[in-house]
Amino acid sequence: MSQVITQDLSFFHLVSGASLPVQLVMLLLLLASFVSWWFIFRKLFTLRQEIKQTDEFENIFWRGSDLNALYQRAAGARHAVGSMERIFEAGFREFTKYQSGVDIGPIMDSTRGAMRAVYQREMDRLESHLSFLATVGSVSPYVGLFGTVWGIMNAFRELSNVGQATIAHVAPGIAEALIATAMGLFAAIPAVIAYNRYASDTAQLATRYESFIEEVSNVLQRRVAKPRDMANFS
Amino acid sequence: MVRLPGDNSEPGKLRAALFALLVHAAFLALLVFGLNWKNEVSEMMSVDLWAELPRHPVEPPSSAAKVIPEPVKVKPQPQQKTQPQPQPVIKAAPPPVRKPDIALKDKTEKPQLKEEVKKPEPVKKEVPKKEPTKKPVEKLVPKEEVKKPEPVKKVEQKTEKKEDVRQQAEAQKQAQQREREAAAAKAERARADGEIEKYREMIKAKIRSRIIMPPDLPGNPAVEFTVTLLPGGDVLTVTLRKSSGYTAFDEAVERAIYLAKPLPLPPDPGLFNAFRNLDLKVYYRE
Repeated sequence: MSQVITQDLSFFHLVSGASLPVQLVMLLLLLASFVSWWFIFRKLFTLRQEIKQTDEFENIFWRGSDLNALYQRAAGARHAVGSMERIFEAGFREFTKYQSGVDIGPIMDSTRGAMRAVYQREMDRLESHLSFLATVGSVSPYVGLFGTVWGIMNAFRELSNVGQATIAHVAPGIAEALIATAMGLFAAIPAVIAYNRYASDTAQLATRYESFIEEVSNVLQRRVAKPRDMANFS
Repeated sequence: MVRLPGDNSEPGKLRAALFALLVHAAFLALLVFGLNWKNEVSEMMSVDLWAELPRHPVEPPSSAAKVIPEPVKVKPQPQQKTQPQPQPVIKAAPPPVRKPDIALKDKTEKPQLKEEVKKPEPVKKEVPKKEPTKKPVEKLVPKEEVKKPEPVKKVEQKTEKKEDVRQQAEAQKQAQQREREAAAAKAERARADGEIEKYREMIKAKIRSRIIMPPDLPGNPAVEFTVTLLPGGDVLTVTLRKSSGYTAFDEAVERAIYLAKPLPLPPDPGLFNAFRNLDLKVYYRE
């Protein structure tokens, strides 16, 4: 119709014109990108909340509040409880079970064990999906590259059928193939950045929890030792 | 251990999905709108526009061509030849509707047509009763009045001729055939002349459109050039035959001739000889 000579290289035209493997690659990458972004945001919210709750609890704990009151608070309001609070709750519950004057060794062992268990579970929860982000970050560029190579192969194969080869014959094929690489990079870059960021955040939280476990067990040990000393005196 | 109910509850799963969707929508928008996917080849947009087409030389040959093939079926060839040639006229005509540049030209043309239509009105105002009903008819009438008489007369002549032909002997038929052939040749020549004239006008108009006129020259000077053309419409040489007396104007026209290439040439290569050495006379004012 129009006398304007345009090469229709619109995005949708390119995608729909691509060969089936390239389209599959694009679909896969789109899916991977979407899921990885979903996890990125989920993890962002989770970690932010976790850090906030940990800060809060540490603040309360080191202000010298009563441990019994802290335990009641943790056990009562379970919905908004952070990992650190949960660790403390588990440890303190285990500790109270032994109140009737057993040896200090087994008490502290089982208390520490209970806290360790909760700590492991919490770390598992925090680290979930991070491996997916790492996978997407490392693999999706290759998947995109595969799509691109496939598309360029097709473009050149079609070029061999044309007598007089011009760049205009290959250009659309290469453009549509390069979309796959673009999508792969689009999926990979945020995934890698998010993975590094979240991994370091999680590692930070882990050291905080570990040191907290040690500190809590020290505090509890002192609590056990004190009454015994008093008893020896009397 | 007691599994706490809060373990699996993760904040904002839905919100995260929504954000993820948003990110992808933004990326897609960037891809679709951020990049200029369509590369328009603007150089190919050379369209020759003819506001006025020399109509008179075209019409008679076409009517003459229609006349001939009726009785003799041996000569459908001239008809076929004549048909494709009016086409360039049709092709050249539509662009003015699209282009805003030409809209101005159309406006200048329309008043002329309106004047033609309006002129009869004051005369016919003496009969006010028929005005509403007649108006559409009147508009059509002037055009038909100009065009119709010619073909009608020719058709009448035809019918007379046909009757004669039936009465006369076969030998006379042959003589008539020769006459027809001669007439066809004449028509062909007239058509060729018309074609040449038409393209001469088109060349002039195209060159004129490219001239950047030097401002404020007194009077209406004219410059004459001899342009040697190549079959593709390329300009080989431009020689000044007669200066206008103003070098600025001469040079402007010469530049315009080179700018106007390729010049429009008739599709029939047989007519090219008439354009090989083209004498052009360009006036400062039209």
